[in-house]
Amino acid sequence: MTALAYSTGRPVAASRPRATSSTRQKTRADAVPKLRYIVVLLAGIFAILGGQLLLSIAVSGGAYEIASLKSDVRGSEQQLQIVGEEISALVAPDTLATLAGSMGMVPDNNPAYLRVSDGAVVGEAIPADGMSGTHVYAVTAGTETIVSPAIVEDVFLTIAQSQALEADAADVLAAPQEEAAFATEATPVMTTVATTEAPAPRFGGSIPSPVTR
Amino acid sequence: MTHQRLSGRRVGVALVVVFLMAGLLVSRLVDVQVVRAAELKEQSADIRTTSEIIWANRGSIVDSFGNDLATDVDRYDVSADPRKVGDFRRDGAVITESAAMAEIALITESNPDELLYAVSKDREAHFTYLVKGVSPEQRLALRELRNPWLQMDLVRERTYPFGAVTANLTGMLGTDEPLAGAERKYNSCLQAINGVATYQRGADGVRLPGTTQLVKDPVHGGNVTLTIDSDLQWYVLQTLAEHGSNLGAQYGSAMVVRVEDGHILAAVDWPTFDPNDFSEAPTEFMGARSFSSPYEPGSIMKAVGIAMLIDGGYTYSEDKITAPGFYEVYPGRFIKNFIVADDRQLTTAGVLHTSSNTGISVLADRMPKAEATEYFRDFGFGEPTAVGFLGESAGQVLPVEQVDVVTRYNQFFGQGISVTAAQMAASYQTLANDGIRVPLRLVDGCTTNEGEFVPEPVGEPVRVVSASAAQQTVRIMETIVAQGPLRNTLEIPGYRVAAKTGTAEIATSSGYGDDRVISLAGMAPAEDPEYVVLVSFYKPQSSRVSTAAAPAFHEILSHVLKHYRVAPSTQPAVLPPLTW
Repeated sequence: MTALAYSTGRPVAASRPRATSSTRQKTRADAVPKLRYIVVLLAGIFAILGGQLLLSIAVSGGAYEIASLKSDVRGSEQQLQIVGEEISALVAPDTLATLAGSMGMVPDNNPAYLRVSDGAVVGEAIPADGMSGTHVYAVTAGTETIVSPAIVEDVFLTIAQSQALEADAADVLAAPQEEAAFATEATPVMTTVATTEAPAPRFGGSIPSPVTR
Repeated sequence: MTHQRLSGRRVGVALVVVFLMAGLLVSRLVDVQVVRAAELKEQSADIRTTSEIIWANRGSIVDSFGNDLATDVDRYDVSADPRKVGDFRRDGAVITESAAMAEIALITESNPDELLYAVSKDREAHFTYLVKGVSPEQRLALRELRNPWLQMDLVRERTYPFGAVTANLTGMLGTDEPLAGAERKYNSCLQAINGVATYQRGADGVRLPGTTQLVKDPVHGGNVTLTIDSDLQWYVLQTLAEHGSNLGAQYGSAMVVRVEDGHILAAVDWPTFDPNDFSEAPTEFMGARSFSSPYEPGSIMKAVGIAMLIDGGYTYSEDKITAPGFYEVYPGRFIKNFIVADDRQLTTAGVLHTSSNTGISVLADRMPKAEATEYFRDFGFGEPTAVGFLGESAGQVLPVEQVDVVTRYNQFFGQGISVTAAQMAASYQTLANDGIRVPLRLVDGCTTNEGEFVPEPVGEPVRVVSASAAQQTVRIMETIVAQGPLRNTLEIPGYRVAAKTGTAEIATSSGYGDDRVISLAGMAPAEDPEYVVLVSFYKPQSSRVSTAAAPAFHEILSHVLKHYRVAPSTQPAVLPPLTW
């Protein structure tokens, strides 16, 4: 629009003073502005057409880009969902309990608490018997078999493998330590803690340490 | 001149031809642009225009920690046009139809023969499903096959990540509509309305810019928040499954209620079902019995009865009474005890402690039956709880005029009155909460898709009995745990626990039979109860006395105390005397 207005505006304004100067020179002098007029007009038209072409190329190029970005977003969303479903499967109580059991953890419903103010032990801590609650029971009445998600199976497999490795390593390394472990078997919970955790103070060691019974 | 004339004629002919052709073109132009313009435009738009469903998510059901219990996920239906199915080339190699099916079957864990049958049963068909509900991961793998005739369409599927754990509460979604539980009751909050959009696309399938039109906006559903703690719910369900199957029970229910606000932290029914795949599940185990199945509770009702009698001023813990071996209601009709014995000199505390039917009958005789009925209703019996669970039963409290001379006494030990596990848990919440009944709560509210939280209405707490009556009753229940025959099973080291056992006979058409409902209800820590636990097993086979329910009750209650880090009791109990 602006290009067109500009091209028609200028020649008209330029020819005005010449029209008043001489009538004889009019035909020759007129030919030059007419040619200029045509050139400018054609240039304007081609500029517009060219511009439109570029614009439509850009727009359709943008459409392709949008399409590809949208499919990227969808892909990411899917990835998110896949991972989300895996997380849900892993945090499901059934999975956690089975995992904990496979790592040798046992539930103990008789904990004691440390009172931070004076370091007193509150409640009676009783070691778990290691028998109850280690098995995950089927809870449905139907005959359906529920297949655990692949991710859960993978984790179980990884743990089983690492346990096998640990067992091998233990066989090779520590025959005498095994006897010591048997000797303190009466308090299984304490032994596990003692052997796996370094006695270094945790949390800065500012909590008064209770006398271990 | 001839030459000129000839050329003039040529020009004339050429002109006529040109005009004719131009006329033809003009008429065609007018026909296309004017006469059939509208029709043609419509047709072309039809060819280029595609409509798509804009999927809206049905809201999730979440537990009190925001874990998804029911949620929507993307799945894909794999289909093909049997006319186009056949061999295809990939990287220069020919993949035969059966090889292609084997590839698909491997990824989707389906049977290749069934896939082949699906396309070969009708080669003229335009469409057939191969596999439904393929996961996004499988879809990616299928796309890697670069199979030209394989189509995959996005669909929405409902999943229940924790499986059977909260199935009784969430219910499940059928193909057309929600079938049970919160899915159904809170459908108006959860439901989503899919949107529709149309757009035009070029020959290469790329969407033409500026042609997308949203015909209908998608409306996502809101989320429903339950008061349930799904970790605890899982533990309770496991405990019920372990002990229920050991007892050979037909089914069992358990409930954990937080005393201060009546929130149900666990409401478990065993056996249950997997809402992800319930086609094979027996329908009788697809609901929530703790809300829908009333039963005669038996002796756990005695704690409620004693609280009523103390509140009414008819007795007190240390009150001395004589519990006869037999209580004669009218000549020839006797109430007897579970273990038949001689007359015993019991206090009111002793009556509840020993669960004496005759003792409580002596006390019940002091209260007019209309007043008793009133009290039972105040405790919440005879009407659904504030939860208003879908299909919840009201149980039954007989109208005063129907309470006969025997039922009048029986009600105090849980016969002639039927209750749901939820109502029973609510009555123990009342005793634990100094006599104030806080309406039970299972659903906290609905979070709309705009993020606004609309809480479920909170009912008004009701004072049912005095604080003194409630506390005396709890003290007496403490004696059962501290001094009763079950103390070795029930005691939780470091905590004061109050509980009452119940063995109810199951009424049949010919009176009371051999089958029992065994239950235990109680609370801890007894000096200021924070949690109420109720456990019941229906028709246990290996043991028919309430002691059999004790291990499950003990495990659940001690787990609750550990789970919520309840501080151990510090004050020693001052318990009432049981005999005189």
